[in-house]
Amino acid sequence: MSKYHNKSVLLEIRDLKIDGYADETWVPIIKGVDLTLRRGEVLGLIGESGAGKSTIGAAAMGYARDGTRISEGSIEFDGMELTTATSAEKRALRGSRIAYVAQSAAASFNPAHKLIDQHTEAPLHYRIKKRMEAQEDAMELYERLRLPNPTEIGFRYPHQVSGGQLQRAMTAMAMSCRPDLIIFDEPTTALDVTTQIEVLAAIRDIVDQFDTAAIYITHDLAVVAQMADTIKVLLKGEEVEHASTEKMLDAPEEDYTKSLWAVRSFKRPQKSRPEDDSRPVISVQGVDAAYTGGAKVLDDISFEIYPGMTVAVVGESGSGKSTAARVITGLLPPMSGEVLCRGEALPPRYQDRTRDQLRQAQMIYQMADTALNPKSRISDIIGRPAQFYSGLKGQGLKQRVDELLDLIELDPAKFYNRFPPELSGGQKQRIGIARALAAEPEFIICDEVTSALDQLVAEGILKLLDRLQQELGLAYMFITHDLATVRSIADEVVVMQNGKVVEQGAKEEMFTPPHHPYTDLLLSSVPEMDPNWLTTLLEERGVDNIGEAASV
Amino acid sequence: MSMFVIGYYAALITASCIAAYFQNRKAFMLLFSLTLVSFVLGIVGGVPALRGVTIFAGILALAAGTSYAFREFLIQVCSPAIAKELRTAPLTAAFGMFVIFTYAIAGIFAPWIAPFDQSEVIASAFEPPNEDMLLGADQLGRDMFSRIIFGARNSVGLALVATVLAFVIGALAGLYSAVKGGWLDQLSGRVADVIMSVPSLIFALLILSIFGTNLWVIVVVVAIIYSPRVFRLTRAVAGNVVVMDYVEAARLRGEGDWHLIRKEILPNSTAPLIAEFGLEFCFVFLLIAGLSFLGLGIQPPTADWGSMVRENATLISFGDITPLIPAAAIALLTVAVNFVVDWMLFRSSGLKEQ
Repeated sequence: MSKYHNKSVLLEIRDLKIDGYADETWVPIIKGVDLTLRRGEVLGLIGESGAGKSTIGAAAMGYARDGTRISEGSIEFDGMELTTATSAEKRALRGSRIAYVAQSAAASFNPAHKLIDQHTEAPLHYRIKKRMEAQEDAMELYERLRLPNPTEIGFRYPHQVSGGQLQRAMTAMAMSCRPDLIIFDEPTTALDVTTQIEVLAAIRDIVDQFDTAAIYITHDLAVVAQMADTIKVLLKGEEVEHASTEKMLDAPEEDYTKSLWAVRSFKRPQKSRPEDDSRPVISVQGVDAAYTGGAKVLDDISFEIYPGMTVAVVGESGSGKSTAARVITGLLPPMSGEVLCRGEALPPRYQDRTRDQLRQAQMIYQMADTALNPKSRISDIIGRPAQFYSGLKGQGLKQRVDELLDLIELDPAKFYNRFPPELSGGQKQRIGIARALAAEPEFIICDEVTSALDQLVAEGILKLLDRLQQELGLAYMFITHDLATVRSIADEVVVMQNGKVVEQGAKEEMFTPPHHPYTDLLLSSVPEMDPNWLTTLLEERGVDNIGEAASV
Repeated sequence: MSMFVIGYYAALITASCIAAYFQNRKAFMLLFSLTLVSFVLGIVGGVPALRGVTIFAGILALAAGTSYAFREFLIQVCSPAIAKELRTAPLTAAFGMFVIFTYAIAGIFAPWIAPFDQSEVIASAFEPPNEDMLLGADQLGRDMFSRIIFGARNSVGLALVATVLAFVIGALAGLYSAVKGGWLDQLSGRVADVIMSVPSLIFALLILSIFGTNLWVIVVVVAIIYSPRVFRLTRAVAGNVVVMDYVEAARLRGEGDWHLIRKEILPNSTAPLIAEFGLEFCFVFLLIAGLSFLGLGIQPPTADWGSMVRENATLISFGDITPLIPAAAIALLTVAVNFVVDWMLFRSSGLKEQ
């Protein structure tokens, strides 16, 4: 904090209270938060989903989202009180003096206009620059953000550039009027680790260069450690702790903060393949696959999953991880190669498989929201597979559902008759696990099961999966891009890139050098809790080629 | 100046003051601007104009009061889950429900409510209203009121059956297309295009002149004309549901198409379908009324609002409003159904959940 002590205060929020409208009453979301931001300072806001991070971020622009209202407190931006300002006054600030970078750049750009036209919109609107001037400035910003072909890329449409580039273009756009404050709302959450780095580096440089103040909202501690000067931890609309980044990392005071820090500590011993000649549960052999009319998505994929083992499949998005899962489940028949289950070849299409073959391989999905039918009761969701495969009825079925709910540590009396929308994200994911277990499978595909969850909740899910594996002897295929998860739960790792298996083997081997260059890239891209990690990494890789390395 | 005018202005100004005192801005603006408008209206139109305003306001207040009471009644009568939804219903929707409820009662209990039979000749042609006949007699001397009541049963009943049939055909085809995809989807899509490309009234006239004006022919023809719209909506809504992970999970479990449709997709697409049902019902109703008006719909002597308009149309030239009464009955029902549908559309658009 000391670095900015002599600078003037840019944003001052005092005792902010925000209400949200739910069930026909106003309930408090933010319960009195204070915040001071000086010029050039970067503040990290962290907390679980629902902690009110984004709501505070929006409030810093004097904006209350639909269904929320600022009920009390003051928001003072550079001497101007935003809670009482007229909407015209606030509008004049937004875009020119306060800018916002949203989580999903792909959803935030208008697909019908070229990047540069959207970029120059604000400067033209506020009569800050002429069009040609603004375009030149845009190209300069693109260059500073290390976008490839800075003079040309602006004339593309949003769908013609990659996700990481789009996120950087959006940061450039936020910079177009040289604002005093930028609010970054989870700008890298939707990106792969490798792409995340280029965006992080770009954001940090540009914020430094223009001495812009920023509020950086994220749930990833390691990321915030790279970006922020001070960190504020939020829990359920209240501030838990506020300190400088170094202090927060070295000596957190509150228990909640400590528990956030400790999350990545879950690790279980690695198991090795069974010594006897038992056959693998699932064996994928030389599989090629493509979607109709497209190029090959999978190219000669082979790996094996033995009973009771966890095989993690890692890679960037687009590397074919999920496609491999679709081939195993039979949703996408392979062009060549086959999938064996305990030595028997499975029919390529799921429609041709027998009920028992279908039962063997169950799936747990990434988005628990879309994985559970919102109009079915929990008892039906879990009960249906039990009824379908085992033919249970009446009392027997009810008992089985109770048993499964106990297994996933949810109280049957409380959850039996409820509907999915009434549950929290972690509870929904547990129901998804119970549905898979109800079929009594030997093998479960976990497709990014923890990536949509908060870290504490995710850890709970990982521990549950681990316990179930020990009790029921399940084999998991764990699809993920998060190497921290791999480190904690996997026995074997399969690294995929561009539809090919780059490297595979036992976890310990994979995490000790020498690696395949791609594995190395993936591993070194995982943010660490050290605040100097990004700086060191950039020095190692060389500033100029990080974009290159990531977009390979 | 008559007492009425003095009372009129006194009431308006008092009400404005009360609204202003309680800081009810909207009510105050409404009342006071009405007062100002009334000054001009009173000068131009005199006492009758003011009386008209009073009667109009009275009717509006009565309708609002009835709707409010009816909503409270429904909330008391229905189960807690439905009652919670009903609480969110605006007065217009409650009014719509009340009108639909009244029509339903009239239709179901027609023989008991109507004083005469629909085809019973009891007076001379076009006899004006008297204490026996509430609305006078039609061109053959039948009681107009009784025929309106019976018309509720015939016209509304027929429209309801046709709409339900259109929905069964359209929704089933739409759901199967969404689940199956491939050639079945293409085929039903193109069939729907073909049906939609023929103007509906001309198509109906064509078929009815071939097969004759049998009640069942009308129902089937109307159902076929309207099923493509239902098909397209259902296909679109179900298309969004089919890609959900829970449908994939059910497919991988080995569930049949019928289970997918019934348990996974239909429960998640009912809201827009119900809203569409209300809308389609109005269109079907108007089409059948139009066919009856042209003489190809429900055949005499069966009472039907559409044909009643036509039969009494000659009276229009004499400045009599009798032929407008069945037309008004059609209009009121259409408006009422749309009020309810608007509310349902609003709910299903997800605005409530935010």
